[in-house]
Amino acid sequence: MKNHLLKIPFIFFSIILLIFFYLLIIERNPTDIPSALLNKKVQQFETSSLFNSQKFNSSQEFDNNVVLVNFFASWCKPCRDEHKFIKKISEKKNLKIIGINYKDNPKKAIEWLEKLGNPYSNVAIDRNGEIAIDWGVYGIPETFIVDAKGIIKFRHVGPITKKIYKKINLLIDEVKQ
Amino acid sequence: MTSSLGNFSLWVTLFFSISQFFFSRKKNQLKFVTISANGLFIASFISFFLLMYAHVISDFSLVNVFQNSHTTKPLIYKISGVWGNHEGSMLLWILVLTLFNFFIYKLYNDKNSTFIFKTLEIQSLITTGFIVFTIFTSNPFKKMISVAENGLGFNPILQDPALAIHPPLLYIGYVGFSAAFSMSVATLSLNKNESFYWYNYMKPFVLAAWTFLSIGIALGSLWAYYELGWGGWWFWDPVENASFMPWLLGTALLHSLIIADKRRSLQAWVLLLAILTFLLSVIGTFLVRSGILTSVHTFALDPSRGIYILVFTALLGGYSLILFASKSKIYFSNNYFSFFSKEGAILINNIFMVVICSTVFLGTIYPLLIEALTDNKISVGEPYYNSTVVPIILPAILIMGVGPLLSWEKENISKVIKKILPSAIFTLMLSVLFFSIYKIYSLIAIAGVSLAFWIITNNLIIIYKKRFNYSIGMIISHLGVGLLILGVTGSSVWQIEKISKMKINDEIKINNYNIIFKKISEIKGPNYLALKGSFFVYNSKKKLITTLNPENRFYPITGNFTSEASIHTNISRDLYIVLGKGNINNGWTVRVYYNPLVIWIWIGALIIFLGGIASTVQNIKKIPK
Amino acid sequence: MIKNKFFIIFSFFLFQTFLTNIGAVEPDEVLKNNAQELRARNISKNIRCMVCQNQSIDESEAPLAKDLRILIRNKIKSGKDDKEIYNFLTSRYGDFILLQPAFKLNTFALWLLPVFFLLIGVYVIFRQNKLFKRKS
Repeated sequence: MKNHLLKIPFIFFSIILLIFFYLLIIERNPTDIPSALLNKKVQQFETSSLFNSQKFNSSQEFDNNVVLVNFFASWCKPCRDEHKFIKKISEKKNLKIIGINYKDNPKKAIEWLEKLGNPYSNVAIDRNGEIAIDWGVYGIPETFIVDAKGIIKFRHVGPITKKIYKKINLLIDEVKQ
Repeated sequence: MTSSLGNFSLWVTLFFSISQFFFSRKKNQLKFVTISANGLFIASFISFFLLMYAHVISDFSLVNVFQNSHTTKPLIYKISGVWGNHEGSMLLWILVLTLFNFFIYKLYNDKNSTFIFKTLEIQSLITTGFIVFTIFTSNPFKKMISVAENGLGFNPILQDPALAIHPPLLYIGYVGFSAAFSMSVATLSLNKNESFYWYNYMKPFVLAAWTFLSIGIALGSLWAYYELGWGGWWFWDPVENASFMPWLLGTALLHSLIIADKRRSLQAWVLLLAILTFLLSVIGTFLVRSGILTSVHTFALDPSRGIYILVFTALLGGYSLILFASKSKIYFSNNYFSFFSKEGAILINNIFMVVICSTVFLGTIYPLLIEALTDNKISVGEPYYNSTVVPIILPAILIMGVGPLLSWEKENISKVIKKILPSAIFTLMLSVLFFSIYKIYSLIAIAGVSLAFWIITNNLIIIYKKRFNYSIGMIISHLGVGLLILGVTGSSVWQIEKISKMKINDEIKINNYNIIFKKISEIKGPNYLALKGSFFVYNSKKKLITTLNPENRFYPITGNFTSEASIHTNISRDLYIVLGKGNINNGWTVRVYYNPLVIWIWIGALIIFLGGIASTVQNIKKIPK
Repeated sequence: MIKNKFFIIFSFFLFQTFLTNIGAVEPDEVLKNNAQELRARNISKNIRCMVCQNQSIDESEAPLAKDLRILIRNKIKSGKDDKEIYNFLTSRYGDFILLQPAFKLNTFALWLLPVFFLLIGVYVIFRQNKLFKRKS
């Protein structure tokens, strides 16, 4: 048996532990799943609008604008928590915010928006969650930033927090340029 | 009060652990080593029972009791609740460590003093590591700032007899391997002494550890089978893998110890396996407790714990593996053997076990590797393991059947054929008979069933011929493996599933059985409310066989729902019924499973356990006096 | 499956799942055509439930898992083959959704290393045998 062969267990062991160590110290959230749709074209869809029984045609709505897309529902408590940030964005930034009302009762959704204020320029109804699947959504609330060419530039799963809010603000400016 | 007493006893444990380390390094300090080893065990025993006492009397002045217990919990689950959480389970781990430490100390005599002292030194190093970890990062005796009226309760899905004893059994397994680790390091660091039979000391510990690990894993699977509600019993979950990997290496270790013992070869290999088996137990603990993997069973998500265990593993592993690299050369022998021999069969077994273990390890950490090296994420799930592990395990089982029949060093082909002819014929006959009953053919089914019969007949013939030179424990365990394979194959290949919406008096047919939904009632348990369904099961002759009563439980304290499957078992099949969602108007979703041969998994595991115990006892007697 | 701390925190802001551990497929989802249903079940077993830990959508109670099961069945009914369905799912949710990782650049090692381990093992066995023959 050659001497250097005897070192193999130690070398493998060290490599594995170094990887574990790296994974422990880097800031990571094991539940964050990178979006497969980042930097891809958005999935277009047609449905009805929440406010008037008109059609909602995504290609018309998005039409060469930078858009913030937010999946929400009135039954989702974290959506309520993040709502103030979405309102802030709509007040401060000049951009279109599209809401997608996920698996909700339209009546309740309208009441919810009346009570909390409506930052959305239009809200599409996703009654059975098909649009969400097409957008790779797995947990609401989810927020996307789509640029003027219809490319998804950013995606966030879960409620918008202060930190994410700041990040979104910066990103919007960046995408607009 | 309990808090300060508990903390005090933990510190005493630490004190004795450190004192054992120092005194075992010196010669002729037997008296102090004796005091340390005894004191260590007694102190850890006390601290463990203090926590148990706190759980039993629901002493909510302890954070640990507050977070994991509740006054409405039945007594047995208050007790098992001690190790049902991270901090308490560390205390149990330490208790088992000190118990094994005490056993090692008991082996001391004039002839083995240097070896035992060195082993105790390493053992106290490991023990100290875990005690420090417990005191500083996972202290079960932490005090509440303000005492609460009642606890936060307990995960109801864990409120179960099989799961209550599952962790202690697993820990005996993991910790038992620590003894093998210490002995391996002791052997490597002492100069080789031809007349010293270190492997005879290691073997009973490995056997005991392996035996308890086996039954522990089996109980975990049994629990998953009836609790998780879709008739499966193994999910290749990272936590399951964490116990399965040391089991695989432990299997390799205990078999190669036979060669080391009988033939004096493969000694260096045994030393390496002993080190790796325990390291894998600790790495498994790390993977589970650090939250680095998001597994279903994750205990805690505290990075400081993760870093501590990681550093500790690095020290243990670094030291032992460097020692191995520099000192193991003298343990290589040139007692080569033909691969057509008993040693050959065992070596092949070893290699298969190590290959399977590496594959499982790769599958478990691969998503982490991808995440660390790229910005992508992937999943490695059950289908991966099924398609990689199964093809490797089949030839290993084939060889397992003949292995015990071969002679040492070299075997003559025509003699072997003579030896295996009867079992080969029996296997063929039994398989044909079996498939004429079950009548569903698939490659994996045929392979699994005939391999099971192959193992069973080979071992039965050994018993029948009364070949007394075989270890009886080995034959029993191998027989158990045969039965286990039968159960595994049967339940995974011929499972039938029926899902339907049923109203009262509706009927469902599953493989010759008619099941009628008779009624549904609300019941009240000790700490839950439940909907209980009543199902009458009739056989093909319209005779009532049994009533099955699956439940849907709601635990108001934690707000959890669980579903209790109801199972009717006999030797050929399980009828397994689960009550799903529903209401009186639309009916309830009812899932019925026909699971053939499942009982043989549990019988097989029990027989393996008994065989393991027999072998352990036999090998304890063989320890040189 | 099992409600650990993590999962509870996680599910708090995700689809508000009704946490039970009952098997998943509901009778109203099942397709009339047995062969198609079998295909749907097989695909479902290879698709991860995104909001669960190590659980396939076939076993999961989560609403998203149910939506995906129905989506798979609808696609099967409209004549899509298995590959198209897998492609659709990975294009939306990434490789993470596959419980059986596809064979591609970043899973190269995952699939080939077990074979490599086995080859090393076989080599060790034969080398040992050769040394034995040389000795005797």
